[in-house]
Amino acid sequence: MEVDKPEVPKENGAEAVASAAAPATLEDKLKSVVALVEKSVKAKDTRLLIGRLLRQTATVRKQLTAANVKAFLRQTLPADLESRTFLTGQVEQAASSSMESDEATTAASCESTSVLPEVELYAYLIVLLFLSDRQEYKLARTVADAAVARVGQFNRRTLDVIAARIYFYYGFAYEQTGELESIRSSLLALHRTAVLRHDAIGQETLMNLLLRNYLHHNLYDQAEKFRSKAQKADQWRSGQQYCRYLYYLGRIRTIQLEYAEAKDCLQQSLRRAPSIAHGFRITVSKWLILVRLLLGEIPDRTEFAQPGMSAALQPYFELTQAVKAGDMRAFKQVAERCHDVFLADATHNLITRLHHNVIRIGLRRINLAYSRISLAEIAAKLHLNNAEDAEYIVAKAIRDGGIDAVIDHDGGFMASRERPDVYSTAEPQAAFHARIAFCLDLHNEAIKAMRFEPDAHRRKQETSEARQERLAAEQELAKALEEDEDDF
Amino acid sequence: MALQEATALLGRFKDAIGKKDLSTADSLLGQLKVKLIQLPALPPTFEKSATAQQELLLGREVLEQAVLLSCKKQDEAAMERSFTQLRTYYNDTRTLVPASANEVAMQGLNLLRLLVQNRIAEFHTELELIPPVAQKDPAIQQPVQLEQWLMEGAYNKVLAAAKNSASEVHGMLLAQLATTVRDEAASCSEKAYERLKLADAQKLLLFDSEAAVKAYAQEHNWAVVDGYVVFKTEATEGTTASKAIPSLELINNALVYAKELERIV
Repeated sequence: MEVDKPEVPKENGAEAVASAAAPATLEDKLKSVVALVEKSVKAKDTRLLIGRLLRQTATVRKQLTAANVKAFLRQTLPADLESRTFLTGQVEQAASSSMESDEATTAASCESTSVLPEVELYAYLIVLLFLSDRQEYKLARTVADAAVARVGQFNRRTLDVIAARIYFYYGFAYEQTGELESIRSSLLALHRTAVLRHDAIGQETLMNLLLRNYLHHNLYDQAEKFRSKAQKADQWRSGQQYCRYLYYLGRIRTIQLEYAEAKDCLQQSLRRAPSIAHGFRITVSKWLILVRLLLGEIPDRTEFAQPGMSAALQPYFELTQAVKAGDMRAFKQVAERCHDVFLADATHNLITRLHHNVIRIGLRRINLAYSRISLAEIAAKLHLNNAEDAEYIVAKAIRDGGIDAVIDHDGGFMASRERPDVYSTAEPQAAFHARIAFCLDLHNEAIKAMRFEPDAHRRKQETSEARQERLAAEQELAKALEEDEDDF
Repeated sequence: MALQEATALLGRFKDAIGKKDLSTADSLLGQLKVKLIQLPALPPTFEKSATAQQELLLGREVLEQAVLLSCKKQDEAAMERSFTQLRTYYNDTRTLVPASANEVAMQGLNLLRLLVQNRIAEFHTELELIPPVAQKDPAIQQPVQLEQWLMEGAYNKVLAAAKNSASEVHGMLLAQLATTVRDEAASCSEKAYERLKLADAQKLLLFDSEAAVKAYAQEHNWAVVDGYVVFKTEATEGTTASKAIPSLELINNALVYAKELERIV
């Protein structure tokens, strides 16, 4: 599954060029990040950390090389700190295995003897990023283990954001090495600690990691039990984590046959996902298409034609066409031909469930087209074995409200009922009400989602310095939004 | 010590099941369970010892037999309990002992049980846990096929399957499914037909005699007129109700809009 997989720089050549051109700016950038960390710790402002820290890290990420990661470690961490030797060692291992020439850098060594835990763990995070981008997952795992152990020694709220990112790469490294089940209990312990300390962001990250862990092994039952029992805040701190949570919830609900709720969740998740998160969007789309088909809806053709997604969604497109036509034979063909794809997507069981929707839709078409048709004819059209089978199936369809008809057993035919004029019923009114309710709800949600700084109403005038800083931050935000979010 | 005693007990337990002496088997199972508690290598302790593998194999076999026993006794709750215990063995001891030959069959039985109890959501949750290779096994394919037939409404096929089932144990479970299926089929017929000949009704609802149909019809308040079962038509009532204006609902809606709009402005 390529969901959540951080982008891995593929062209080594391009990377080398970038690192040659930008070492100075990279160093500066990292330095400014460290300064930011120190400042926010002093001000005890975690808000600053969430946004700017992660965005700035995302921009430096692509330029990381063994040499400048080492230089960064040397600059920021004091020489006698254990972490520094450990991390440098790991980076060197990664560099030697990828045969990278280790040019000597003459960066100034760190002079101070103590360092903030936040900065230290930020160094861990940088090394983790570097290693996962290099696909050195074994090394990343060792570093992640050490980092998680180190995080456990502190209890500082200013550390939460960095810790949450570390947890994420901790899970990622284990997933890539295929030992996801081994960290389940430690994740649960971390989650418990996070809840007790009101560490909202850690709580969210860990919850998603656990859900992912369970779903990776198809443990839907445990996942649902954990999800329903775990403490959740009304408002998620991180939009990305919420988006991911919705996807997991949608999957659970699909398996439990609660398609309407599943559809809501998956749709929300798809809307919230940043456009750059390609793998994630494709996976969510696949599930959403299936859920909609199971609900008896036919997804729009445009949904399959989104740029970059059409190739991946091709099997699902063919499937949709077969379902839309109510053509049992075509459906079986597609299901067999693309069986491997569905197996890889872990959706093959959902495809099996679709079987009865195909019959239902075929039946509805017949019901609309004929006012009276013999059961044997229906059996032939739907490729059923005989008229007797058809009779039972039609009877169930009538009871479930799929079609409006009457069976005459003596005559052996199905007669469609007169369709009453929809506009004489309360149907349009109900539809109108549903839309109004949706809009009002949307408005309320939007208001609830607004966040303000704690003392925004007290500050009357901003100094020119503060103003400049704010503008810089806004610019940075705009730029970062364009490049966007590393974590998808 | 405990291991040898338990092995001996298991032999007698299996004999009793083979002879269909269910009450003896039941009491033996009780003794066996007590013995199992004394074995240190079983879940949840998983203590490592020289006889650990034997103990685990023994524990697993006892529970597999317990599932079969509860199945024969038609005790669904006991079956669920035994299977839940058994699952720990299948999931957590994969690395410790060779896989059981009965594993797929047991999972198939469990799926069937969920179908009988009409717990479809759990049925699908369980199904996801079974690896794709095992899903090709006939023991799993059968419940999957049955579930599909139930969803489609092909009740005749379900009942036909109940009649010529593979084994005795399956037959017992499927027989229980038959009653559920008949109720479903009846509620479908109620909506789909206006009237039905008694003979046809007997065939459709798979009764043995017309008298049984009449009794069933009485239970469901269906009228029997000159050899026809006449179902109540609710359609006429439905249309008259929809013509009346649902004033209370409309007022409520309007009040909600007013309140929400006031908040916005």
